[in-house]
Formats: sequence, C-alpha cells, structure tokens
Amino acid sequence: MIDTSRLGIDYGVLLPELVVTATALLVLVLDLLIPPGRRRWLAAVSALGLLLALLATVPLWGADRSAFSGTVIGDSFAAFFDVILLSTGLLTVLISPRFLRSLGLEYGEYYVLTLAAMAGMMLLAAATSLMTIFLGIELLSIALYVLAGFARRNLRSQESALKYLLLGGFASGFLLYGMALIYGATGATTLHGIAQFVGASGSSVLLLVGIGFLVVGLAFKASAAPFHMWTPDVYQGAPTVVTTFMSVATKAAAFAVIGRVFVAAFPTIRADWYFPLAFVAIVSLGIGNFVAITQSNLKRLLAYSGIAQAGYILLGILPGSSEGLAASLFYVAAYAVMNFGAFAVVTAVETRVGEGGTEIPAWTGLFYRQPLLATTMTVFMLSLAGIPPTVGFFAKLFVFRPLVEAQLWAPLAVAIVTTVISFYYYLRVVVVMLTAPEEAGRPAREPVSRVMGAILVFCSIATIVLGVFPTVVFDWARTAAALHL
Amino acid sequence: MSWYTLPAGVPWLTLALLLPLIGAFLVLLAPAAARGVIKQLGILSALLTLVLMLLLLGGFQHGPGGLRFQFEEIHHWIPSLGIGYHLGVDGLSLFLLALNGLLSLLAMLIADPRTPRFKEFVLLLLVLETATTGVLLALDLILFYVFWEAMLVPLYFLIGVWGEGRKVFAAFTFLIYTVIGSFAMLVAILAVAAITAAQTGHLSFDWTVLVQHPAGAVAQGWMFLGFALAFAVKMPIFPLHSWLPIAYPATPTPALLVFAGLVSKLGAYGLIRFNLALFPAGARGWGPILATLATIGILYGALMALLQVDLKLLVAYASMSHLGFIGLGIFSQNVFGVEGALIQMINHGVIIAGLFLVVFMIEQRTGTRARSQLRGLTRPAPLFAGLFFVIALAALGLPGLNGFVGEFLIMLGAFTAYLPLAIGAGLGVILAAWYVLRFYQGAFEEVPVQPAALTEMRLNEVGALAPLLAIIVVFGIVPSFFPAAVDATVRAVLRT
Repeated sequence: MIDTSRLGIDYGVLLPELVVTATALLVLVLDLLIPPGRRRWLAAVSALGLLLALLATVPLWGADRSAFSGTVIGDSFAAFFDVILLSTGLLTVLISPRFLRSLGLEYGEYYVLTLAAMAGMMLLAAATSLMTIFLGIELLSIALYVLAGFARRNLRSQESALKYLLLGGFASGFLLYGMALIYGATGATTLHGIAQFVGASGSSVLLLVGIGFLVVGLAFKASAAPFHMWTPDVYQGAPTVVTTFMSVATKAAAFAVIGRVFVAAFPTIRADWYFPLAFVAIVSLGIGNFVAITQSNLKRLLAYSGIAQAGYILLGILPGSSEGLAASLFYVAAYAVMNFGAFAVVTAVETRVGEGGTEIPAWTGLFYRQPLLATTMTVFMLSLAGIPPTVGFFAKLFVFRPLVEAQLWAPLAVAIVTTVISFYYYLRVVVVMLTAPEEAGRPAREPVSRVMGAILVFCSIATIVLGVFPTVVFDWARTAAALHL
Repeated sequence: MSWYTLPAGVPWLTLALLLPLIGAFLVLLAPAAARGVIKQLGILSALLTLVLMLLLLGGFQHGPGGLRFQFEEIHHWIPSLGIGYHLGVDGLSLFLLALNGLLSLLAMLIADPRTPRFKEFVLLLLVLETATTGVLLALDLILFYVFWEAMLVPLYFLIGVWGEGRKVFAAFTFLIYTVIGSFAMLVAILAVAAITAAQTGHLSFDWTVLVQHPAGAVAQGWMFLGFALAFAVKMPIFPLHSWLPIAYPATPTPALLVFAGLVSKLGAYGLIRFNLALFPAGARGWGPILATLATIGILYGALMALLQVDLKLLVAYASMSHLGFIGLGIFSQNVFGVEGALIQMINHGVIIAGLFLVVFMIEQRTGTRARSQLRGLTRPAPLFAGLFFVIALAALGLPGLNGFVGEFLIMLGAFTAYLPLAIGAGLGVILAAWYVLRFYQGAFEEVPVQPAALTEMRLNEVGALAPLLAIIVVFGIVPSFFPAAVDATVRAVLRT
C-alpha cells in the first residue's frame, strides 16, 4: 500500500537546504559585482544566510514530515545535524577572511563552494532514500575536492585535492555499487521501503554485499579506518580553514547517514552488520590513536585523532539501539565543538607564523607568546582526550554506557586501551606549549584577531559548560535519536 | 550529639567546593606580577575553606545513625540517565575533609612567590583542592568519577611544569598509571548501575541506591576488581607502585603535601566507600589477596626506604609502607582494622606532610637531600631538630603519639583476620624504627661537616609545622575522640 502522505511536495522540509543554496547563488552573483577589496562582505552575506538557515530548522524539531516520495524527511534527527552543520559552517565562514587574506586566496568562490558543501551535508542529514544520499554525498564531495586544492599555487594543496578526488571517486563508486545491490535485493530505494522489505524477508547475500559496499563508501567520508588513507595527506595539504570545516562537518554528515541507515533501516539484521561495523570502529580506534603518537605535524596529528574519534562515534551505533544512537549524536556534537576549536587554533597560529606553524616545534612555549591560543588549545586537547570537566568526557561516557549494557566487551576494551594511549599525544601538545622556548629573550606577544579570539573563547567555554551541564544537548540528542521513517 | 547545629538550608558542601574555585577565579583576574597578592588570595581562600570544613566537623551529629549522610544535597544533573548531583558527609569522609583543608592551606603557606609562573601554580593548587574535596563529598558515582579524573589535570601540570628532574616523564608516568586504573573503574561504575537497574527498573548512579542492591557474587568480583585497580594505583598497593618513586621526587613540595598527604588516602577512602560497601561478596573473595599484597607493600616500602640516600625518596617509600598498613587494615574487614585504617589515614596524612616539609626545609638550607652529606644539624638548629624528632617518633609509631593508635588498631584487626600477615606487618614496624631513626641520626646527630650552613627555623616555618605537631600530640593523647565519630559508619559499611 502506498502511503500518500509521503508523496507530497513540501518545501518546508528542505527550507534550511534551500536557504543555504540560495545564499550560495547570491554570493556567486555578488562576487561579480563587489570590488576585490571588499570581498569580506561575501563572508558577511554567507554568515547571514547560514543564520537564516539556522532559524529555518526550528520548525523541524519534533516534526515528522516525509516528502518528495519519501526521499527526504524533516525530523528532529535532521534538525539536530542541521544545527551542528550550520554552526560549524557559520564559525568557519567567520574565521576564513583573515586566513585567506594571509595566503592571498581571498576569492568569492571559496564561500560559494563552502555553502554548496553545506547544502550537500544538510541534504544527507535529511535523506531517506539511496538517491538523495548519493546526491548529498556527491554535492559535498565535489565542492570539497575544489576547496582542498584552493591554494592553487601550493603543491601540497594540489596533491591533497588530487588524492581526495581520486580516492573519493573510488569511494563513490563503491557507494553506488552498494546501492545498486541493495536495490537489487530489496526492490526499493527509499529507506522506508528497504526497511519494510528487510523486516519481512530478512537478509540475503546480495543485500549484505550491498551493505558492505555502502559501509566502505560511508566510512571513507567519515574517515574511519581502514578507509582513512587519504585523511592525513588531505588534511595537511588543504588550506587549514578548509581542513577545519572538513574535519568536523563531513564527518558529522557521514554519521548522519550511517546512523539513519543502520539504526533505522536495518535494525532487524543487526547481527549481520554488527561485525563489519565493529571491525571498522576497532580498527579506527587502533590506527587513529596509535599512529597519532608519531606525528610531528599538528594537522596530521589531528587527522589521526579524527580517525580515532570516528571510531568512538561508531561505538554508539554498534548496539543498534536508539540509546546508543543518542550517544553517538551527542558525541558528534561534542566533537564538532572541540575539534573545530582545535583546528581553529591551528588556523590562528598558521595565520601568524606561516606554513611552518603547523609543525609541533613551532608551538614550543606558545603559552608565553599567545596565552589565549595556548589556553583554549589546552581545553580542546583535554576534551578530545576525554578528561572531565569537559564535554569530551561525557561524550565518551555516553557511548561507553550502551556498550556495557549490551555487554559488547571487545569494542569497549579496545576503546579504553586506546583512550589511555591517546592521552599521550593530546597532552604532549599541551606540554610542548608549556615548555619554555630555548632562545633567550621572549618573542613579543602577537595579538589574535578579535573574531578569532571570540570564537575560540566561545568554543572553549562551550566545551567546559557542556562538560558540566550536558543534559540539554543530551536530551536533544535523545529526541533526535528516536527515529521514525 | 554535636557541638552545635549548623543552620539547615545552606548548601554547605557546595560552598566547600566553590570556595577554592572562587579563589582560583580571583587569582585568574589578578595581574601575574602581583605575586604577593596572588599568594594572599590563595591563602585566604584555602583558609576560608578550612574554616568551613572545621565548622562541618563541629556541626556533625555523632552517634548511631548508620549510613545516614549529613549536610546532604541532592539535585538532578542528567536525569535521563539517573545521574545526580548528590553530596554528603559521613564518618568516612568527615576527618579526611578537614585534613584536605589543612594540607591545602599548608601548601599555600609554603608556596614560594618567586616560583616562575606563580599565578598558574596557585590557580592549579586551588583547582586541585576543589577536585579532592569533590572526591570526598560525591555520593553519585559519575560525579565521583568526574572529580576523581579532574584531580589528575592539576596534578599533571603541577608535576610536569613546576617539577624537578625528569618532570614531564614523571607526570606522564603518573598519568598513564592512574588513567588505566580510572578506566577500569569507569567500566565497573557503568556495570554496577546497569546491574542495579536490571533489579530495580530505574537507572541510577546514586551510591545510596546501589548499596541497597548488591549484585551477584561473580559480577561483584569483577566490579570489585575494576574499582580496586583505580584505588590501588593511587595509594599505591604493591605491585602497582612503580610510578611512585618517579612521581613523588619530581613533585614540587607544596603540591606534594596534598599529593602524598591526601590524594594517596583518597585511594584508601575509595576502597572503603566503594569496594567494601558496594561489593561485600567481592571483598570476601579478593580481601585475602589484597591484604597479602598490602603486607608485601609494608615490607617492600620499608626495605626500599632503608636503601635510599635521597631523603625525598626515603619518605616516599616510607609513605608506601604506611599505606600498606592502611590497606591491611581495610582488608581485615573487621571493625578494628577498618577504624584503624581510617585513623591511620589521617595520621599518615599529617606525618607524611610533616616529613616532606622537613626534607623541604633541609634542602632549602643545605642545598642537598642526600642523607650521606648531612651531618649534625642539631647544633645550629636545635628547635628544628626537636620538632623533627617528634614527627619522626610519630612516624615510627611511638605510643603517646598519633601514629601508634592507628597502627595498633590495624594490627589488632589483622591479628583476628590474618595472623601470618599481622606478623609480617609487625616486622614492618621494626623496619620503620630503623629507617626513621637512621634518618634523624644521620642528618641531625654526629659531628657537623659544615657547621655554619644551617640556620634555625624561621617563625613561619614553625607556623607551618605547628598544626601538624598539634594533631600528632593531641590525637596521640586523646585517641578515643576519633573512633567514636567513625564507629557508626564503619559498622554500617561492614554490615555488622
């Protein structure tokens, strides 16, 4: 039976996406009209558009509006991710102008591409069909391929874009193949239809192979091991603001899909997808946390840290319960705040020091030169390590709890051992910043731009406040995780 | 009965947590160059906290009441997971709380304003005090864990930045050891809540709820192990002690007073509060093993103390040996043993802080901590020598001073529970007399090598030692006052 209520055209469901797309087009046109010296205004227009989109997500809370033949949905889950993505985008746009100017890259296309990627990510959060999922992934990927190579004259940036493009192309291929197989097995492209079929007839080899390929494609976007190879190189080569945006937003969007697909569409065959997903989680935790120890470049260190964090987020998916999903969602939000903050500090240091600013030795004695940057970085590092009273602690606590209840001891044991290891490299950054510089005569203090300073203070205060009062966000995550299809 | 009644309705315990934090905030606002002001701010907030804790000490209702907590505060924190903000004081935490206030104040008093980055130093000490206070007050397991972990951060930086020698290595070693234990405890916390939730239908991390619903014996064994790992590392119990000779000597003395004097005791506190109370069956199974390890720790620590040339290391190992006594008392699991352990926890905090202070003062005067290079300090500084002698006698457990009371009760408890272990522990007492007296004789008696090097104690130094000496003497003479206060709680924990 066809549920007619799911067929309607309902632009309200896509309002946030539409606002972002419209802003992108507006910026594209404005770029032609505004004199090159005034390109800062493009950032302001983009920020305004993102704020409007943020407002447009309000009606989606608590809604359950499936539209366009069941290919997209407006619900709390989508709204939750929209808020995370839009906030990340907003902060990115705010810290970009100064950084781009320092690299001589102040072009309007930057904002257009960022907004396009945002639209793709938000579409992913709302997608309930294999078609819309693919559409979202391609939209965000293509925009990010260009952004990664945005520093055109920088070889590393070029390399980064090419690597991302080639490997990303492969990942898309896997994803599409997996979708084709799933369609072949179930005869449906909407998650609703797939869930109905799977609920009635169980799994088949075709379906499982399809799910396997789907995992490959999504794990690539989430930079989870063993599909993480591109991450360090791309993160290192891309302009740091792009890395900041990418590391947070892409991962969030990928987990929106993973959460919706596995917990909402395939809950009945959890036994089949548990092992592949658990494998990805465990390998991510292991590789991310171990390899990060040896890194001497902060962007690479944070890249591996991001791989490990993807593993923690996946842990919440493993029990296949909405409790676990809520924990994952909370983790994504926490990760957004603390990882954005950490990369923003890297951006600020690089703006001052130049390209060498991402190497760890350049951070020696940062506490004495730039106390604000060093203090906020300390907060983010402690939070990424999961030390209370920061949000990172509760993020870990919340994902560990469903594992204990479901008695999934193996992933839990790996998570705990690797977390202990992660303390080493996160705290090493802090120790380096505290080490007094070798050369006599302290370098003069260099002020941080006001916007950057405000954003860093905001992120670090949010990291601590959410670490003391996690209830509000956690309850949002629980509302969002109560999925309907 | 109590000496007076504190007005109800005032969140006394939250206030105790906030006072040092407010002080830290004020320090944060102060200009870094105003070192004197910063020091006074630190002293003032630590002093106010101590006064508050002494008020609580006096206002505590003694007598039979079992597990009833006083000055309780309960608020929702993360209601969807049954995590609450639950604070309370009972006989277990009452005196440790006061010790906490006292040692934090002493740390502030002896902190040297010429220390580089003094502002951050004071700030971290104050944050540390909030964390240690929270550990003693928290009755919700997640809240407890938050404070327990939060304790690490200031300690890590105090060692890693202001320490001596291989300070970063020391800080890391300490961190990695304790974090492994902490995570084992975290899993056990989640497990005990899940098991109780299966019984009651409500997820709760509240100690008072969990204590009423013990799990099955096998599960208790595992969860006991998880908690014990965290606490045994912090104490430390043999063979988890290898961070101690690395971390203690590297720690700056003001932080060391709190670290050795109090933080190690928080491990022992946790063993009683959680391991004995929540997992009685687990304690029956693991008790003999841990008691044996504790006894090995007594002898090992004492023997190592005999071998040390560095006085700071000597005291560090002496501390480990004393903590072995406390562990033995706890795992005797009878009223004598546990009460003895509780008393000894306070005594040990006072004595070890005193010994480290003396080492600190010797080093300040002579520039060395090597036992072999110190001779005849009595002649130029008789007062110093005399005060140290009292602490030394307390450390070796002389009757009439406080060290004796706790050790005697522990031995009594151990004799009933494990006779062979009690004999081993007795050997430890003899060794203690040996290393303590050799320390005193070596440094203070005999013919001086460099007679003019030492100056007599300054007034503020006497002031720093005075409260410790007062406790040593008073608790030695009137020990009865103390057990009466904790008796009810201990009996309730042991379910006797």
